[in-house]
Amino acid sequence: MAAAAAVKVQEVREVTRIERIGAHSHIRGLGLDDGLEPRHVSQGMVGQLTARRAAGVVLEMIKEGKIAGRAILLAGQPGTGKTAIAMAMAQALGIDTPFTSMAGSEIYSLEMSKTEALTQAIRKSIGVRIKEETEIIEGEVVEIQVDRPATGVGAKVGKLTLKTTEMETIYDLGNKMIESLMKEKVQAGDVVTIDKATGKISRLGRSFTRARDYDATGPQTRFVQCPEGELQKRKEVVHTVTLHEIDVINSRTHGFLALFSGDTGEIKAEVREQINAKVAEWREEGKAEIVPGVLFIDEVHMLDIECFSFLNRALENEMAPVVIMATNRGITRIRGTNYKSPHGIPIDLLDRMVIVSTSPYQEKDLKEILKIRCEEEDCEMSDDALTVLTRIALETSLRYAIQLITTASLVCRKRKGNEVNIEDVKRVYSLFLDESRSTQFLKEYQDEFMFNEMEEELMEGAA
Amino acid sequence: MADEQWLEMIQKAEKKCLIQDGKRKVHYLFSPGEEMVEEYNCETDVLIRRAWRKKSSLGGEGQWDVEIGDPEEHFLNIDQVLIKESSSAPFVSRRITKTSLEWRIRNLPYPLSVYSVTAEPDSKCITVRTTNKKYFKRLAIPDLERVGLLPEQDKIQFTHNHNTLIISYQKPQKVYGLEKKILQEIKKIKTSKEDVQCTKSNR
Repeated sequence: MAAAAAVKVQEVREVTRIERIGAHSHIRGLGLDDGLEPRHVSQGMVGQLTARRAAGVVLEMIKEGKIAGRAILLAGQPGTGKTAIAMAMAQALGIDTPFTSMAGSEIYSLEMSKTEALTQAIRKSIGVRIKEETEIIEGEVVEIQVDRPATGVGAKVGKLTLKTTEMETIYDLGNKMIESLMKEKVQAGDVVTIDKATGKISRLGRSFTRARDYDATGPQTRFVQCPEGELQKRKEVVHTVTLHEIDVINSRTHGFLALFSGDTGEIKAEVREQINAKVAEWREEGKAEIVPGVLFIDEVHMLDIECFSFLNRALENEMAPVVIMATNRGITRIRGTNYKSPHGIPIDLLDRMVIVSTSPYQEKDLKEILKIRCEEEDCEMSDDALTVLTRIALETSLRYAIQLITTASLVCRKRKGNEVNIEDVKRVYSLFLDESRSTQFLKEYQDEFMFNEMEEELMEGAA
Repeated sequence: MADEQWLEMIQKAEKKCLIQDGKRKVHYLFSPGEEMVEEYNCETDVLIRRAWRKKSSLGGEGQWDVEIGDPEEHFLNIDQVLIKESSSAPFVSRRITKTSLEWRIRNLPYPLSVYSVTAEPDSKCITVRTTNKKYFKRLAIPDLERVGLLPEQDKIQFTHNHNTLIISYQKPQKVYGLEKKILQEIKKIKTSKEDVQCTKSNR
């Protein structure tokens, strides 16, 4: 009986757990208390107390929304939680504040110039809260049906049946819509609203008629009445759109649909000027409100001198977002020049930034992080195996140790164990080389590899 | 009165007209970026199509909103439109004949006894209900609103045929009068054989 129940629980979980586990999926916030004091282990964050506190202060500044065009640099060695802090800030800001995340190398695209890519990123990070009349669908979910084509390739086909007290309609779903329904974990009995133009789904709660389905009810489940009347309504809603979205809607050649395909190309400067004027007008009339957001540029040393000088200028604009950058470089060459500079960023730009540094984790922090990751990756690990893994993290790198978690748990499952033990960790440690052992290995067997440099040097010496 | 307002709006609008395929096509441009297109049958002078397009508040051109005639067809991929009614879902198309205003609701397979069609003067519309709770629709009547009349129950008739519910509303004298005046107005416009459109002065 108990076993049957356990199996059932497992099944339910597999249906609902659709998100994949990413490198930072365990992070839910910065883990600060009301006085902005960091708690040692909280919301998936561990250690880095000063950096987290600094991020908390920056967060307050962003939330107030008054200060434009500040830049913050997160600097630290690889694997010290720079990206994690940025992700935590994004989580803490919530969905109504635009947060754009990009890697420095993303700007090198053949489709558009570097400055265009940066401008788009900046404009994606400024939100405009505006009242708009949109068509929404509001109803109780009767059924969601998603079919994969029999061949296994091609788009999925989805159907959603919604009802009100008076009517029932079947809708066809696009792929994006299917994904967001899955992500929101919408199921039969939920009352939802769907914005027809943007596809945004919000779950209002569960229908009262389903109040007796105990398995689908969590502690925070809210019960609502099944909506009345027609499924589709026109409603005035206040929502946040980014300046970039307004640009795209207004650039004649692309239209609204370009937003979904992501293929927007370059946008003319005149269009942007018009939009800026329009937004300023709305703001004066009290129709709209500016929500400055955050632009996060990871691996910022990949930008070149042209981008840096462009950023210098862009940050002075009063419509600029708060820019957070992260780098793991020390004093190095600025891309596109022969000059060296701290973090590979020109001094004049550095001068405009506040720098938050992250420091290498201590042993006990490493252990906490590994423990959190074990939980996130659904892996039971014995205490001594965790200690060994912590040592590995200390001697090689945190990332390498994290890689060993799932691999070790797979090895453990193959030998039908319940808990990862030291042997499993040793096994994967010998199976997978870390960076320093690999280097060591290469040094020893250099001449047996093809095209190795040493041979070349010898040949040159001979010539 | 309301009908004068509408007439004045039509008179003030920038209009272009062309005759093509036996249809008189009129394009109106109203002041705040609003457009309307009408098509009249040249022989009978009956309106066969009327569509509206408004700029959304964020700018950019919206979609044509068809008031009379068959709805615009979409050839967009389902991935581009995100969500839409399945092709088997009921849809409404409106028509105007010499004597009545008509609604045709297609893809409604239920027998005639299921439907109830009531005039609701409070919300200025006609409401279609089904006893099996499968379909519900409030039908606005812009033509009545324009002349300032409220819907009356005894002018409504409905039948069901070929999966289609046909509702007809007897055209009041006032609507008839307004249509006549507008037609006179339209016939004053110089027509051309080529495709013309009002210049978009507000752009």
